[in-house]
Amino acid sequence: MADFECRLKKYRQLMELTQEQLAEQVGVRRETIMRLEKAQYNPSLKLAVDISRAVKTPIEEIFIFK
Amino acid sequence: MKKSKMKRTIILGILCLISMSASVGYSVLYNDSRLVAPMRFSEYEFRTQDLPMIISGVLLAAYVLYLLLLLVPAIMENKRNAKNSVTTRKINPKMGLIGFFGFFGFLGFWTYGVNKTIFPFVFFLFFGFFGLFYEGKMSNTYMDERYRENRMKARLMADKIALAIIFIAVLLLGQGGLMGNLEYTLIAIIVIVALSLALNLFLGEYLLYHYDQDELLDESEE
Repeated sequence: MADFECRLKKYRQLMELTQEQLAEQVGVRRETIMRLEKAQYNPSLKLAVDISRAVKTPIEEIFIFK
Repeated sequence: MKKSKMKRTIILGILCLISMSASVGYSVLYNDSRLVAPMRFSEYEFRTQDLPMIISGVLLAAYVLYLLLLLVPAIMENKRNAKNSVTTRKINPKMGLIGFFGFFGFLGFWTYGVNKTIFPFVFFLFFGFFGLFYEGKMSNTYMDERYRENRMKARLMADKIALAIIFIAVLLLGQGGLMGNLEYTLIAIIVIVALSLALNLFLGEYLLYHYDQDELLDESEE
């Protein structure tokens, strides 16, 4: 399923955010963050940008497409 | 709906029911069951004894119209609210038990045998309400982009399956009919279409639940 690598977990933990807190910040459910971290969900551009802003990291460093 | 309005609506309904029951009783006992038993309205001649049935009929029709005028705006408002809502509707999974009404569809075989009535076959549609069980499990869930994506995927899959079943059934039945009998063929089509639509309703909710839940990860990921 995963055609990309997601380093969200690393950057989220660096920001000391829980999945729940990040989910709330970007307006999704916690389950969506869980699947994103497992690279089981391909986010929309808007969600990717929101996440990148929330963890203060460029998109291309969080989502790496192979 | 306000409590007082609901109370008034229920009381009016009971009054209509009482007046209709009394009129039917009067007509059966004292008026040769006129306007109760099937009759040809082209040959109808007015009698003063028909007045109770006519009045209660008009009252009932007015009540049904009143109900429609109440229900239509309420349904429209609910739909508007659902569109703007960010969470799924609150439903108890026990509502899925309504699906058991689908078994009433089998009554169609009996009514067809008795007087060729086939409409009870439509009750097979109620099997679709088993889907409320899964909708109830996803009750009051925040609809984020992944949820909406899964919902679209589930509905698309359910539509495809139902349409494929209907298409294949119509194609096969259209070849030579069922046992060479046109009536049986039409009944089979009604049953298949009702069951396919029920499957469509059920699968829409089941697949959505399945897509949303089957990849559950370890909760201790944090």
